Amino acid sequence: MPTKKISIIALIMISVMIVISCNDVRRKPGRIYMPDMAYSRAYETYSVTAEQKEDLLKKQGAHYSNLPVPGTVRRGELFPFALMKDKEGDSTNYVASKLVKNPVTNLAPDQMIEAERLFLVNCAICHGSKLDGNGPLYKGGDGPYPAKPATLVGDAKYEAMPEGQMFYSVTYGKNKMGSYASQLDSRQRWMVIDYIKSKQAKPKPAVAGADSTAKK
Amino acid sequence: MLHYRLIAKKLFYILLFAVVSISGLRAQDGKALFQANCASCHNPIKQLTGPALQGVTSRVTDKALLHAWIKNNIAVLGTGNKYFNDLYVSFGKTPMNTFPNLSDAEIDAILNYVETYKAPTAAPADNGGGGTKDQENDNSLLYGVLTLILAVIMFVLLQVNSSLKKLSDDKEGIPAMEPIPFYRNKVYITFVVLILFVVGGYYVVQGAIGLGRTKNYQPEQPIFYSHKVHAGTNQISCLYCHGGAWESKHAGVPSLNICMNCHAAINEYKGEALHREDGTTVDGTAEIQKLYSYTGYDVKSGKYTEPGKSIEWVKIHNLPDHVYFNHSQHIRAGKVQCQTCHGNITEMSEVKQFAELSMGWCINCHRNSKIDFPDSTGAGNKFYSIYEKFHNDLKNGTIDSVTVEKIGGTECQKCHY
Repeated sequence: MPTKKISIIALIMISVMIVISCNDVRRKPGRIYMPDMAYSRAYETYSVTAEQKEDLLKKQGAHYSNLPVPGTVRRGELFPFALMKDKEGDSTNYVASKLVKNPVTNLAPDQMIEAERLFLVNCAICHGSKLDGNGPLYKGGDGPYPAKPATLVGDAKYEAMPEGQMFYSVTYGKNKMGSYASQLDSRQRWMVIDYIKSKQAKPKPAVAGADSTAKK
Repeated sequence: MLHYRLIAKKLFYILLFAVVSISGLRAQDGKALFQANCASCHNPIKQLTGPALQGVTSRVTDKALLHAWIKNNIAVLGTGNKYFNDLYVSFGKTPMNTFPNLSDAEIDAILNYVETYKAPTAAPADNGGGGTKDQENDNSLLYGVLTLILAVIMFVLLQVNSSLKKLSDDKEGIPAMEPIPFYRNKVYITFVVLILFVVGGYYVVQGAIGLGRTKNYQPEQPIFYSHKVHAGTNQISCLYCHGGAWESKHAGVPSLNICMNCHAAINEYKGEALHREDGTTVDGTAEIQKLYSYTGYDVKSGKYTEPGKSIEWVKIHNLPDHVYFNHSQHIRAGKVQCQTCHGNITEMSEVKQFAELSMGWCINCHRNSKIDFPDSTGAGNKFYSIYEKFHNDLKNGTIDSVTVEKIGGTECQKCHY
């Protein structure tokens, strides 16, 4: 009798220990009723099976971040930007881009709201929601980003910059800024530039004051 | 005499204060000037478009030459100075802007700031987080142990009771029945079987329902990418990387060039300490290095020296092919926040599946969510203007709002076709 009692108590203790030591981090997706339905037989990004992955990535060299086929233009796209990216140490096309005019001007109020949204999502993180070059990533030099983003409103250089040159910089990147062509299509890029130009055109006494102290 | 001394003392303090504040001002000035003119391309301790500037006064000891270079570098290059020409070539012949408007005093202030610059110190690591969670676990464990102890006590008491009864029966001369051991006692057996049935049944049903559901799935990713750091601390919009969520069916995982928009310049992590779910510390800088190994980026030269390869992120949220789900429909038209379905993503170091993604979960939300129905003032989504019946019902006060269900959001064919 006592050995039985002891063994039962021991069993209970062991099961309690097992329950305690279970890790609650779920690293495996778990089981499914019908794998054919849950995981597509077609090749889908990120949900491919192990065999599909082997077939796609290793044998066929498929790459999810491939560029579009050269020479193709997406439906609904604006007329392509004719200037190519400059080679290193060359600035011919950067200079030439000054002459390119913005084909997307005079935005309607709702388009302007959309342009502002695009700016806030994609640009404000560095250039600041007030376009003062002080977004959350720079934070006056305390943020993680080591380079000062351009002060789009309040710096004479960027206020005078032609829109074509801005488009070149947004499309191909400039200095430490990367290309935004994969996040914004050409129409959206022109819309954002029109938004920046409209902000620059507005009178801004406060920013101008801060700038004059900086250039004392 | 005392008087004079007091005045002298006061004067001394005022002077001291003035000197301190002026030098403070100048340092401040240097910072402002540096950020306004130089910081787009230079960092005191990091190589960006231009070289790291700290130590420039010892590299170029001729002060007049340095000033001339900063004011008009093209003229200095023209004189054939070897040091500056070599520098120009090594930085890909990217010309530096000219600064004819900077005075010598201003340049000195900038140089002073650059030479005395110290990297911002890392924020102190927080040791909160997880505390409340542990508390909860402790509580449930406590209840479990208490229940067990009570059950054991009950069992012992029952045994004692039966033994005592037997003893008293013996005393009173009632013939004792053959003692039945508890494991053959029918009451005990029935009791245990019942408990096993209920508990076992509960787990079987839960397991069957959970088949194919991956709530709390939190796989280890090839790079320790912390949404807490990016979307939380640094306030990057979700749509910056997952822009597809606004435009299309899929939210999409960003291509590597989007990572490199920032990480071409941000090559080390200096924020608060990162931890995996099991508590081990993560070296953020090493994780950024992993990104460079995927993109083939060379930090020293700032160029892509090797061909890039894809990062095989582990997909967490998976819907079977027979379910249609469209991100833009929910986010853009439905104005649903990302966090509604993906949880508090700005607090997640490692992403886990927050929602069940079960059909009951979808339907429940469709029953409760109100759509952006145009009210009497005309505000709201114009698409719904064709639902004449609901407009009339709203006007009559028969209904007070229109849910997704009312416009067919729980019809089978909406999502299964």
